[in-house]
Amino acid sequence: MTALPRKVEAGTATDVADIVIAGGGVGKTFGGGAVVALEDASFNIPKGSFVSLVGPSGCGKSTLLRLIAGLIERSSGSLTVHGREVSGPHADVGMMFQRATLLDWRTAVENVLLPTEIHRKPTAEDRSRAVELLKMVGLKDFVFSFPSQLSGGMQQRVALARLLQTGADILLLDEPFGALDEFTRERLNLELMRIVAEVGATTLFVTHNIGEAIFLADKVMVMTPRPGRLARMVDVPFARPRRPELQQTPEFNALVAEVRDILGTH
Amino acid sequence: MVVLTSSTREQDHGTRRGAGSFFHAAAFHPIVRHFAIFAVLIGAWEIGARTGTIDPLVLPAPSAIAEAMWRLFVTQRNIWWHLLVTIGEVLAGFTAGSILGIGLAIVVGLNPMVRKLLKPYVIVLEATPRIAIGPLIIAALGFGWSSKITIVMLVCFFAPFINTLSGMLSVNEGAYELFRSLRANKWQIFTKLMLLDAMPVIMAGLRLAMASALSGALVAEFISASEGMGVLLKRYTASLNMASAFGCLLTLTALGFAIYRTMEAVGNRIVFWRHAPQMDAVSRRRQAQWQRNWGA
Ligand SMILES: Nc1ncnc2c1ncn2[C@@H]1O[C@H](COP(=O)(O)OP(=O)(O)OP(=O)(O)O)[C@@H](O)[C@H]1O
Ligand SMILES: [Mg+2]
Repeated sequence: MTALPRKVEAGTATDVADIVIAGGGVGKTFGGGAVVALEDASFNIPKGSFVSLVGPSGCGKSTLLRLIAGLIERSSGSLTVHGREVSGPHADVGMMFQRATLLDWRTAVENVLLPTEIHRKPTAEDRSRAVELLKMVGLKDFVFSFPSQLSGGMQQRVALARLLQTGADILLLDEPFGALDEFTRERLNLELMRIVAEVGATTLFVTHNIGEAIFLADKVMVMTPRPGRLARMVDVPFARPRRPELQQTPEFNALVAEVRDILGTH
Repeated sequence: MVVLTSSTREQDHGTRRGAGSFFHAAAFHPIVRHFAIFAVLIGAWEIGARTGTIDPLVLPAPSAIAEAMWRLFVTQRNIWWHLLVTIGEVLAGFTAGSILGIGLAIVVGLNPMVRKLLKPYVIVLEATPRIAIGPLIIAALGFGWSSKITIVMLVCFFAPFINTLSGMLSVNEGAYELFRSLRANKWQIFTKLMLLDAMPVIMAGLRLAMASALSGALVAEFISASEGMGVLLKRYTASLNMASAFGCLLTLTALGFAIYRTMEAVGNRIVFWRHAPQMDAVSRRRQAQWQRNWGA
């Protein structure tokens, strides 16, 4: 892996200290260069921000998340998390996928405890935290249920609690509610917004839905395919807390149109 | 890779006929119905045998079989030892074969190198009819117990081996990624994910192995042995004592059924997350355990 010097985009000194993820010309190719999944992506993600990634299928959203998580090696550029070059899976990030990937033989709370168990024998505090997190995601009455006894939405809630149990301050969510029906998805989006504000995590959220991306985020990374590129980083100015009605305002729709425009011209 | 499954009768619940049919009247409760049909069949068979319509050398009368079984089990009691020998061979061979199969599959599954090296041998062994190895083993190990157990072991080896291997190689992609992102080590990935993820398939392999273990033991005894149910059965047929031979056959049927049911029950307990009633029980148990150890 090439270790290029750390490159930080324009910003004042205090800004730099507040950047938790920085990409400098990050690229990823598969099949010995045959497939360019991501090309020359440069970006800064400030601490505590909620960033949405939108773009059509194949534009490299999942690839970017997996690079940040250290699950795959980048082919070029520099990528730092908390100022350290990413060189493999690390403790600063937690990941959540479209499918809940819960372990069927573990109860909800045992699933939530998995991240802790990987590193040490869970203490009484770890255990009560796991139960607390399940309450936080609205599963107070399902602490000891097995995954197959839960609905798809509830399974994703367990996965979210497990993600929070890692204690990571960066949450990478790859279409976490993409397989759920629209009502459930909207509710979970609202709860996700509340929860990440509560724990103060930096969040990267992949979605195909432009409205959802804008509604949740402080910044929207708009990506375009063939090759996967970061087309623009769009700032979302709306104040928090946000209410669903925001999505009916002209300002909101203007921003949706702007993002659609960026995607359309590519 | 192919996964071997026994045709299970697990999903039989809820397939009862709709209401309103004649047979559903209270007097024709399914059990009553089965008994009625059974009694009619046995009665017809008995009459057929007594009137000479059925040759007792082909099919002895039910009463003769019952009498023979009474003799075998109660008055002469000579069947018990043979039954015990066969059960012993089945259990020992099954245990050895499945431990070997599962163990080897784990080694192979965890090492791509070993996998490549062993693959041709595994294919050759799979293509060989295992029973045909029987006479060779008896020639090598003699007529005693060890040759019988070795034959049963060979018969039992394959299904657990193939199923464990395929279960481990088809581990849930997303869960594997999750473990990697949590920086789990190989041992943790193996014990906390792969082994448990493969457990339903492994259990299916064990069920198959157990089902073939009994046949394996009997065939081994047919080939050459001095004791065991296969020997007894052969001895009675050779002396044309058909009633006793049928008594042995019925006993073996009962043994096969008991084995099947036991394996099913054990499987449901181990793979509890695939069986709703077991799952509820485990859920309650873990809740109680948690509350005892860690409070509400
Ligand atoms: N392991 C891999 N091997 C080969 N090609 C890959 C691999 N992973 C991703 N790609 C390719 O890289 C490109 C980007 O894939 P990626 O999964 O990042 O897209 P995405 O934006 O997440 O798409 P989607 O919205 O469908 O999830 C695609 O062309 C894909 O085929
Ligand atoms: Mg994707």
